[in-house]
Amino acid sequence: MAGYLARRGLQAVGVLLGVSVLVFAIIHLVPGDPVRLALGTRFDQETYEALRQRAGLDQPLVLQYFDWIGRALTGDLGVSFRSGRTVMSMIVERLPATLSLAAAAIVVALLIALPLGTLSAVRQGSKLDYAATTFSQAGISIPDFWMGILLILFFSLQLDLLPPSGYVSVLESPWGWFTHLLMPAVTVGVVSGSILTRFVRSSVLESLGEDFTRTARSKGLRERRVIRRHVLRNALVPVVTVTGLQLAYLLSGVVVVEAVFAWPGLGRLALDAVLARDYPVLQGAVLLFALFFLLVNLTVDVLYAFLDPRIRY
Amino acid sequence: MRQGSKLAWLLALVLFAAACSGGGEGVEGEGLEDGGGGGTEAGAAGTEASGGTGGGTLVAAISSQPDQLDPHKTTAYASFQVLENVYDTLVVPNTDLEFEPSLATEWATSDDNLTWTFTLRDDVTFHDGSTFDSADVAYSFNRIISQELANAFRFASVKEIRTPDPQTVEIELTEPTPNLLANIGGFKGMAIIPEGIAGPVSGGDGGGGSEAASPSPGGSGADINLANEAVGTGPFALESVAADGITLSAFQDYWGEGPNVDGVEFRFISEPTTALTELQTGNVHWTDNIPPQRITELANNDEVTLETIPSVDYWYWATNFNREPFGNPKVREALSYAIDREAITQAAKFDAATVNQTAIPETSFWSTDYSPYSHDPERAQQLLEEAGVSNLSMGLMVTDEFPETVTAAEVIASQLGEVGINVEIQSETFATWLDRQGKGDFDAFMLGWLGNLDPFGYYHSQHLCEGSNNYQGYCNEEVDKLLQQAATQTDQDQRKQLYDEAVKLIVDDNSYMYLYNPDVAQAWKPGLSGYTIRPDKAINFEQVELPQ
Repeated sequence: MAGYLARRGLQAVGVLLGVSVLVFAIIHLVPGDPVRLALGTRFDQETYEALRQRAGLDQPLVLQYFDWIGRALTGDLGVSFRSGRTVMSMIVERLPATLSLAAAAIVVALLIALPLGTLSAVRQGSKLDYAATTFSQAGISIPDFWMGILLILFFSLQLDLLPPSGYVSVLESPWGWFTHLLMPAVTVGVVSGSILTRFVRSSVLESLGEDFTRTARSKGLRERRVIRRHVLRNALVPVVTVTGLQLAYLLSGVVVVEAVFAWPGLGRLALDAVLARDYPVLQGAVLLFALFFLLVNLTVDVLYAFLDPRIRY
Repeated sequence: MRQGSKLAWLLALVLFAAACSGGGEGVEGEGLEDGGGGGTEAGAAGTEASGGTGGGTLVAAISSQPDQLDPHKTTAYASFQVLENVYDTLVVPNTDLEFEPSLATEWATSDDNLTWTFTLRDDVTFHDGSTFDSADVAYSFNRIISQELANAFRFASVKEIRTPDPQTVEIELTEPTPNLLANIGGFKGMAIIPEGIAGPVSGGDGGGGSEAASPSPGGSGADINLANEAVGTGPFALESVAADGITLSAFQDYWGEGPNVDGVEFRFISEPTTALTELQTGNVHWTDNIPPQRITELANNDEVTLETIPSVDYWYWATNFNREPFGNPKVREALSYAIDREAITQAAKFDAATVNQTAIPETSFWSTDYSPYSHDPERAQQLLEEAGVSNLSMGLMVTDEFPETVTAAEVIASQLGEVGINVEIQSETFATWLDRQGKGDFDAFMLGWLGNLDPFGYYHSQHLCEGSNNYQGYCNEEVDKLLQQAATQTDQDQRKQLYDEAVKLIVDDNSYMYLYNPDVAQAWKPGLSGYTIRPDKAINFEQVELPQ
């Protein structure tokens, strides 16, 4: 296992370097000039030249890349063109909000998907199955910003139960953290949960048709035990994969939901960086998202070994 | 219970993430202590005395996050919403947009109009406790000039800034500059900061200034970083900056009256429904995040007080004179007759705007009463025929950064369609939009100019043959002459006359095709007092008192 982890770690470094080159190239190839944007419509050639030089944008691209990657390797992701703050501090400031929301949304998603998907597979063709399928179809189809706004209008404006927006640190007030987190987490969780429900259902259905299930049943095991010990255990492997992907996706920010709930997450940071062509922030953010994907994938692979004893590294 | 252990592993993954969350928090604990999460308690804070002046904390929802807080570097409106309350300028526009004393108590011009002498207040303290004097003024202005910061162009005619004594500043000019007050006090981009706070600057005779190199990584140096710290003389001091809001606290040694509240918390809420729900549920006291289509409904809502007022902004569209057939005045005239300005304005802003065929709103002294065009498709077609143009296809470049340009473009396109012109709407991100505008890569574009106070700002650089913002490529020597004369004419009435003449030519030539002046719309909690909505959209909470 240790050797395997070491290999994966080395691979990850390679992938991250590749990502960094790609990101750097793509960002600089996109039309739009951060300095022109910073000056807005009020343009002045001399000011423009001075700012470009100050930001190092007059240097050749290759030099800019090596300059950036050299610093990044020492943990210095540079300084935002727009805010003049270090990219690291801007990311660290938003990390807790994004981690809270991603974790809570995955919990909501699993709470929906595991029972609903399993039940609808076990009772395939029943009313419950149809209801579950309809629910997951709706969850995938309904735009998340719309669902978020409906939640706000109902739970905040009508019932005055939950705060409409904002983020409170769990260290400051666990209860405030929870109440502010609830609506965004449900909004994101329902979407992810709907996607997961479909995977759980089809995965369980597949296991139900396997030989080992028939064997388990024919040796006289009670149905409940067949489902728990044999069907679910085998069905979980693909579900873990998809859950991991969903989590990594949520960790890279959910821009629309963040906007609706004024949630200070990483999605907004990345979007603003794209719109402002704030290269250092965007590069830092994308690198972090790549790191999230690698970490989550690694965790998922390790989880396989625990779920399925046949998998050994 | 083997199944339980599987679930436990899945949950472990989640908990791992949650644990990271807690860890990350510690890093920024300091920053959050005062700033974060106040929104939930704001309703209570509003009615309860919480120390300080006992006025509670005002919570204001603004629609975007300031890019940075250095008043001399930022160009973002969101930044100035905050900075308006933190910094002061030498002079300040009142609600009628006439200039009044602020840090300067009085000013005089020499007989040749080339020297302005400002007398400064002697009772002003910066938020860091240092005393304000003329050296701070010279430092602030020289920083903008020598480092060629975003507002350096406002000092184009400034030759030297002298400080004969601590209470006097002399500005020497290369030519008479009647709009000097607007240049140095029109907005908080010309704020006065303490001498030396942002590193040394040269005295205006070139030399770059050493701070120019400091925004490189890690190089914040010993000075404070004005990008996210602030030392001003305004009614509020910057307390904390977070990803979801900025908190200001009342400055006890403020030279003016007020403030009456303990502090102001700006929250960044981009979704209008959310901001308005926060206002209606009492978590927020004030917001300007109001979509035009909701103005009528909110005006009839007892839970909020809504006010609107014509702004100094204007929106226009223009064609590329260097691309045929737009160099032909008849074609441009045809475009101007083909559009229905009322319908465009209605579509873009509902009732929250006033149609105008010039730039300056009619509420201003500088407004020019001139509206030669009507919606006349037949006239337009006739003009196109005379120009020998048929089956014209053109692009109209707009940006989703300002959604009203996209809406307006759709109406313009359909109206031009009625006279046989095929319009392709090109919606770009603002970065790409500016890039294409700068390169002259467009047939036509639509945009607005915001926050101008003096006619120089409205017309000069946009319509001068060599104007730095003349992207459309307009050139009329008579207009050039009039604009140049107006720029240095110190007699108000004569100056207005020069601008009136220039504007009529600009409108006749369709250098810009002016569309409308939008309204400012802001809403607050009923009972909130001491706040005045302003045409220049400056958000000043100095006198605000929360509802009891």
